[in-house]
Amino acid sequence: MTDLPTPPTVSAAGLTLRYGSTAALDDVSLRLGAGVTGLLGPNGAGKTTLLRVLATAVPADRGAFTVLGHDPNTTAGRQNVRRALGYLPQTPGFHPDFTAFAFVDYVAILKEMTNRAARHREVRRVLDEVGLGDVRGKRIRRLSGGMRQRVALAAALVGGPGFLVLDEPTVGLDPEQRMRFRELIASAGEGRTVLLSTHQTEDVAMLCHRVIVMAGGVVRFEGTPAELTARADGRVWSSTERDPGARAGWRTGTGSFRNVGDPPEGATLVEPTLEDGYLLTLDASDAASASSSEVTA
Amino acid sequence: MSTLTEARPTSVVAAPEPRRWAAVFALARVEARELLLQIPVLFFSLLYVGYLGWQVWTSDREGMNAFPVLQDADRATQMPPMLIAVAMLICANRAVLRSRRRGTDRHFDVLVMEPWRRTVAHALSVVPFAVAVALAVAGQFTWQALKPGAVGHGSYAELAVAPLSVLLLGVLGVLLARLIPSSFAVPLLALGGFVGTTLLTAGVGNPRWMRWLWPVASESQAEPLPSDLLGRPAAWHVLYLVGLTVLLLWLAVLAGGGRARLVKAVAVGSAALTLTGAVAQSAGDSPALREARVRASVTPEKDQTCIRHDRSTYCAFPEWTGRTEDWAGTVRRVQSLAGGAAGGTPLTVRQRVEARDYGLDQASTFDPSRTPGEVTVGTRWGGNRIPEFAVGVASVLVAGDEEAAGQLCDARTVVVMWLALGSAPDPMTSLKNVRLDDSVSGSAIVLAPTHPLSMSAQQTDVVREMLERPRYSITVKVKANWMELTSPKTSTARAAELLDVPVPQGKEEEEDECGA
Repeated sequence: MTDLPTPPTVSAAGLTLRYGSTAALDDVSLRLGAGVTGLLGPNGAGKTTLLRVLATAVPADRGAFTVLGHDPNTTAGRQNVRRALGYLPQTPGFHPDFTAFAFVDYVAILKEMTNRAARHREVRRVLDEVGLGDVRGKRIRRLSGGMRQRVALAAALVGGPGFLVLDEPTVGLDPEQRMRFRELIASAGEGRTVLLSTHQTEDVAMLCHRVIVMAGGVVRFEGTPAELTARADGRVWSSTERDPGARAGWRTGTGSFRNVGDPPEGATLVEPTLEDGYLLTLDASDAASASSSEVTA
Repeated sequence: MSTLTEARPTSVVAAPEPRRWAAVFALARVEARELLLQIPVLFFSLLYVGYLGWQVWTSDREGMNAFPVLQDADRATQMPPMLIAVAMLICANRAVLRSRRRGTDRHFDVLVMEPWRRTVAHALSVVPFAVAVALAVAGQFTWQALKPGAVGHGSYAELAVAPLSVLLLGVLGVLLARLIPSSFAVPLLALGGFVGTTLLTAGVGNPRWMRWLWPVASESQAEPLPSDLLGRPAAWHVLYLVGLTVLLLWLAVLAGGGRARLVKAVAVGSAALTLTGAVAQSAGDSPALREARVRASVTPEKDQTCIRHDRSTYCAFPEWTGRTEDWAGTVRRVQSLAGGAAGGTPLTVRQRVEARDYGLDQASTFDPSRTPGEVTVGTRWGGNRIPEFAVGVASVLVAGDEEAAGQLCDARTVVVMWLALGSAPDPMTSLKNVRLDDSVSGSAIVLAPTHPLSMSAQQTDVVREMLERPRYSITVKVKANWMELTSPKTSTARAAELLDVPVPQGKEEEEDECGA
């Protein structure tokens, strides 16, 4: 795991949150600096729970974190964290009868931007930034799914937050919209800390300068995308048949098989991708969990 | 080791407390605008404005509207705005629930403004509607008060009830949304409240304490009373409404997570206000008030001011002295048609009220006066009350006193009706209006301030003929034959002969009536 310079924007130590007997977060520690950090993990890994804890939506049972030096455990600290926060939930809601402008303006008011003229300028700025300047007077009910998602991003960006939390923002978007969103997120990450939860490894590969992999409420990897990719160095090979010893294997468009795992002697190694590193990291987690279960049993 | 750049400073900085409240007001403005666009608010507001417009439009058609009694006019402003209050209850409730309904609460709950401040903003969003209703109420009352025929005194406390009710129900809607996050809560609670109240009313009746717990305490009183006899605890009720509104707001803020020290202090204060108001408004009428009501009902002369116009004296309760000139005009008009000494007989017009059974929703019936030359007049004026009073005046001129007027029949009834209606601006309409069945033919009861008169079909025929003919020609004949026309021995048929109108058929019926 790589060292981070101080001071980080977000610093968390030992975050633990349980729902009954299930540990949604188990002793999670991390540090985030400026730029886009990707948060990868399968369903139920605890990604959304981590984002909600960092967004002060739910308190952790144990552990602590700070955002821009503010401690959310105090009332004033929590307010300061929220002032510094832009949050795009996994399934953002909208007031369909509001126009895009009115909705973002509403969020800006809830962010306590009180100067009306300045607020309206800011709302126009973020709507222009997400490419909705031309439809800001349109009711949200009349906007497409991609446009709505951009309204939600504008609502997260309004007020220029220093810490942006995006929970699977590209889900349900077509490739063109996803590409557009990547541009927006990349732009948002310039000089700002962005934590991007996603299932899309391409998003992470294209956008993020750092990546965190979670599984079972635990951080399995924290480092750069290149470091995650490097985990698959020498562990991806091609073959004419699916290799039964591979952890995963599939036929590619060229007709050959791409295998991930422990290659046999003399295998034709190929260049790994970030997804290969991710799969092997998860695979190692599963193996560790399984061996831990066996020991426990 | 990875390199991280310094995060750029956020433009969102900690706001001082006054700016935090400025944000609450900004949100309240937005929510108020949203409320205005809700269908129930639009519909009920239009209905209310339509009602006010209708009041203005029809003010000239219903004569009594030109002579408002302000201590009743203030209460009349209370019920119509309840439409807007109900709309506020429904729509403020829905506005608070909007975030939950639309799934934005997950996002909004991590924004800077805490839910309790949003709750306050929702409550404040009702204020513009309360202010609008206050302006409408003020306009409605001022319009009434500026009418030349207006008498009495309005109460600021009574005028405050409607806007406060709008505020109260709006805040109740906000509270319900915070306690029960479902759109069904309001209709279910309304239904439950209705059923509960019905059962309670069936069990314990409708005692004063219960009546005054509602925003609008309905106490119907058909005939206006002097304001000092009303005994309505309007100021206490306002205190109760203010206290209750703040108390509900406090509960909503508490449910929204507010825990500030100020919130707790306000809670104690508002609970104390509500309790004080509720207890004070529930107290019954004082012995002094009950005594004053009896005195005004039995011996009104003790409280009245008498003013002389021409030869007659007009005794009115202090708030009605400005109306004596209107009464004198009617007396003058009636006497101008009378013959003999009746044209110059000095009368005493005495205003009377029945305040002993306060809260009666039907017009009181006064016992006829036995004092010669004394005519009773009530507290309402305009419309039908003018010909009714004219009938009372004419009856006393013909019979001598109100008690004797109750026995009038034969030609004297014809004369009374002629005197009462002969110089009216529209005699036939007045004849129709003053008769209980609104007809101009057949027998009927004729309304008067005390005992009603009976008109037979024959008398109706003669009176109708008289009213349809030129006034001058009939007046001359009435005055020329005054003695005979006002004699108990003169029949309706003979009166018709004397007045040169067709002699009516059906002599037997008349004999039956007067034969006793």
